[in-house]
Amino acid sequence: MTDIALKAGKAPRVRRGALTHGRGLAGLVLVGVVVAAGLLAPLLTPYTPQQQIPGANLLGASGGHPFGTDEVNRDVFTRVLHGVRVDLAVCLLAVPFGALLGGLAGLLAGRSGIADVFTQRAFDVVLAFPPVILGIAVTAVLGPGVLPVVCVVIAAEVPLFGRLVRTATLKVRELPYVDAAETMGASRTWVLRKHVVPNILDAVIVQLALSASVAVFIVSAMNFIGIGVRPPAPSLGGVLADAMGQLGSNNLYAVGPLLVIVVLVLGFQLIAQALLASRRGGAR
Amino acid sequence: MTSYLLRRLPSLAVVLAVSSVLIFGLLRLVPGDPAVTLAGANATPDAVAAIRHELGLDRPVAGQYLHWLAGLVTLDLGRSHIVGGGIGSLVGSALGYTLLLTASALLLAVVAALVLGTLWAGTRRPWVDHLLTGANTLAIAVPTFVLGVALALLFGVVFPVLPTGGVPREGLLADPGITAQYLLLPTICLALPVGGVLTRYLAESLRTELAQPYVVTALAAGISRRRVLVRHALRNVLPTSLTVLGLQTGAVLGGAVLIEFTFSWPGIGMLIERAITGRDYPVVQVLLMLSVTIFVVLQLLTDAAHALLDPRIRLGGTR
Amino acid sequence: MKLSLSRRTLLSGAIAGTVLLGLPACSSAVGQQGSGEVEKGGTFTGGISTDLVPANFFTNSNAGVTTVIGLTYESLVSYPVDRLEPKPKLAESWTVSPDGRTVTLRLRDDVKFHTGRPFTSQDVAFSLRTYADPKWNGQLKSTAQAIESIGTDQPHTAVLKLKHPLGNLFDLLEIVPIVDEKTFSGVGDGSRYVGTGPFKFEKWTPNARLRFVKNPDYWVPERPYLDAVDISVVTDATALTNRLRSGQIDYAYGIGYHDIERLEKTGRFGKIQLAGAENQIYVGTNVTAEGLSDVRVRKAIAHALDRDRIIAEVFRGSGYPADLPWPKTSPAYDAKLNTTYRRDLAKAKALLADYGKKVPTLTYSYASPVPQYEATAQIVQANLKEIGIEVKLEPLDPPTFVAQLIGGKFKGLWTTYHSWAQYTPSTLTVSAYPFNALKNTSHYSSPAYTKNAEAAWKQTKGDSAEAKQAYAALSRDLLDGLFLIEIGIVEQRWAVSDKVKGVGYTKRSELVLTDARLTG
Repeated sequence: MTDIALKAGKAPRVRRGALTHGRGLAGLVLVGVVVAAGLLAPLLTPYTPQQQIPGANLLGASGGHPFGTDEVNRDVFTRVLHGVRVDLAVCLLAVPFGALLGGLAGLLAGRSGIADVFTQRAFDVVLAFPPVILGIAVTAVLGPGVLPVVCVVIAAEVPLFGRLVRTATLKVRELPYVDAAETMGASRTWVLRKHVVPNILDAVIVQLALSASVAVFIVSAMNFIGIGVRPPAPSLGGVLADAMGQLGSNNLYAVGPLLVIVVLVLGFQLIAQALLASRRGGAR
Repeated sequence: MTSYLLRRLPSLAVVLAVSSVLIFGLLRLVPGDPAVTLAGANATPDAVAAIRHELGLDRPVAGQYLHWLAGLVTLDLGRSHIVGGGIGSLVGSALGYTLLLTASALLLAVVAALVLGTLWAGTRRPWVDHLLTGANTLAIAVPTFVLGVALALLFGVVFPVLPTGGVPREGLLADPGITAQYLLLPTICLALPVGGVLTRYLAESLRTELAQPYVVTALAAGISRRRVLVRHALRNVLPTSLTVLGLQTGAVLGGAVLIEFTFSWPGIGMLIERAITGRDYPVVQVLLMLSVTIFVVLQLLTDAAHALLDPRIRLGGTR
Repeated sequence: MKLSLSRRTLLSGAIAGTVLLGLPACSSAVGQQGSGEVEKGGTFTGGISTDLVPANFFTNSNAGVTTVIGLTYESLVSYPVDRLEPKPKLAESWTVSPDGRTVTLRLRDDVKFHTGRPFTSQDVAFSLRTYADPKWNGQLKSTAQAIESIGTDQPHTAVLKLKHPLGNLFDLLEIVPIVDEKTFSGVGDGSRYVGTGPFKFEKWTPNARLRFVKNPDYWVPERPYLDAVDISVVTDATALTNRLRSGQIDYAYGIGYHDIERLEKTGRFGKIQLAGAENQIYVGTNVTAEGLSDVRVRKAIAHALDRDRIIAEVFRGSGYPADLPWPKTSPAYDAKLNTTYRRDLAKAKALLADYGKKVPTLTYSYASPVPQYEATAQIVQANLKEIGIEVKLEPLDPPTFVAQLIGGKFKGLWTTYHSWAQYTPSTLTVSAYPFNALKNTSHYSSPAYTKNAEAAWKQTKGDSAEAKQAYAALSRDLLDGLFLIEIGIVEQRWAVSDKVKGVGYTKRSELVLTDARLTG
């Protein structure tokens, strides 16, 4: 996602500067800290995420175990850090792919009436199923694992990007100068390349940041209801779900994954907001 | 207007038809069936076969589909395999609970958005802006399932002042005061993210609107900022906000699945969860069809509202 | 407690979000119960985590069903929870012919159904025959089907003629609830439950609640004490715990072991541990899978399991480790045999070395999301890693799990509970599918096991010395074949507040409130 953002640096209205101060910087720092913690996980804790420490059943927080231990005697801090990796990997895989698919469908929809009706109704069908229900159904068919989670995130992203790109395309083509260019005989591809794509790119980038936060939400929700990553592999939602049964014994058990999920979603939201604000060119 | 709606009807029917096949087909791809659920872990295969025959699951799939479709068209929804009882009454009572919950959540979200969104866009005090920005970002960022348990813990365990699950014993209508208390936590939970999105959208559009030349003119002409904001800008952004509300209504209904389960609220969400985990085909089918229909109708209504406000759409411009 | 109109209006405004200030002054939903006074009669309020499934009426499989049966119905005889000794209930007395094939039951003549209709031998015949119908999936249906005829010539005598002696006949008579033929169609859709028990079924609201009222014509004098029973269905365990803690309910079935421990620590709540109504947690093996087909590998697994840790940490000590299904209350229990497979990693590794080949990665299935299964599976996975066996966990949603269990489709190992070992031992081997000698999930068959299971079933008397010998033979078959590796015997726990006394249960975990009182 970052490299898309960098390439987009050329686009006139989203400024890279948006992320060097205020909200944008805060978002970048929040996401950055979590990403770094995930990447450096093996260096930050002496345990492995699946290591069962004899006798350490549901211990409270302490110096050795900042978030305590879980019901199978594992270090929660370690599991949260490694869980970050899983969640981020799914987001990095599914969001750009969903955006690409959705964007292509949106562009296609902008080209002809029949394609428009067809893709619009297809989006309706997909959107009509709430992601969680979709997740339950897909998992029941494919079995639990990372694949159904990726599928559901993609399914949730495609209509969003599709609609965004379609609306933006239609809008751009209605602009007087684009209309004029078409009247003067400019080819559709030329209009698309010269006017449509640059114009919708910044909207897409903002949506990418928003989608990343939605994806974190979906991934953790699916893991939370037990239809995501297979245990004993850790995931943020999975650790949180396990923690729910043990709130009375170890408070930080739940607070740890909860904080990380909120920080990640919040970080992506802040980045999206900052990009949006800079796009509008305002100080807000 | 009527002709616009009429033009949309065929595609609506197509979406519903495709969804019905998808729902019916997908459900049968899922391993396990209602007979297996009823049989349980200690059952023998011949008991499962007997139950399967009893439920009519040993008939050809195409025949089952047509039978179901015929039932749907004649409004004979059939009987539940697992939950028990007629589907009509099951869905009816669950729908009542869900509508109450979603309606109060939407109401809360809309009121919050109108008040806070306008305040946010109109304020010139930095601290109000920062406060609202922070609160709004958090409201959107905290996942509903996390918030649900956090609220349940806070008000159910730490300060036990509110019920954290279920419905009043004497029914919803016996004492509105008690009902409101049961409703409060799930409503907040469900309303917060939607309210956040609406507030944000409204504030952003208002700000865009406030940057328009006419506003500058109006302000220069001495009309008060508040008046411009409420009488002109707000009126102009309401139509598009309505679309967002329409789309969010779908999200609220979807969110209700998780919320109802967290708060043991016996609505559609809980019914569908139970029906899916029990492979209660007739119930799942009807509920998913209902969900698709509601979504499609909402979609149509928001489009119609849009069309009503924008003649280009109503008159069917090709673009 | 009355709510003034202005406050009510204010509360309705709660939805608009301005009302938190007004709340403490209003009548509180949380304080709805528990006035603190000593109540005579009164309404017993409880919560269960699984709702009634009407089609499961005879399967004893969930809290909704066991609550309805425990309160509304009665059976012909009853066992004390700790012994297999039939006591009179709807049958006053009985005689068994010397060949064990004719059983004459004398029925009470003062019992009426909730509709007012007197209870007769016809009802015994109808109930037993309905139970034998495969569509109801009764666990002892093979035993019920072994009843050749039921004589109903006299209204208060039922004569059962059996195809062969049944060592577990009284299990059947203890389990089958006596139902009313006239209203039985209401059982299928959950609209009507008419029995002879201490409470009348009033109404079921799916996913929400079950209501019962006192049966004023109950045949036991001056019982029940309570006026009504109100059971809420609260599927979320945390919400259920909160309801109990906040005093909205006085009884909860479905709270986790850890939460019950914490409730006990407050001093205001107690637990009821269902000794005598045990479940068994086990690791099943598909004996046709590569590696698992060799009994040495299965024995190595049995020696690797850390049963003590699982019972202590996952089940908080509510049970005990076991190598055989029999609980301590069973006539087949044998403390020595029960420790055949102690945790012994050296022995396990030696068995694997003897086997010689590398055991491939085993798939290990369990129903999800069930915290106890998940924790157990992860501990077992770690245990097996210690002896060099790699395991891949496969959480399945419950219907998929059951479909694979019944279809014998598990790829390697699986974990779940089984039940029915708390009854006469032969009940387990002819009823619980995982143990079925002829066809089971493990694809295990052995002529000796089939023969011994059959012999145990056809005993004339379930607890004679001869029968005990048959059970010992069966135990040795189970230990030698080792197609199911037991982890331990688990006793479920209910949580109750200190406001209720006299809550009882049956060997099938049914709720019994005949003697229950509210103490205020």
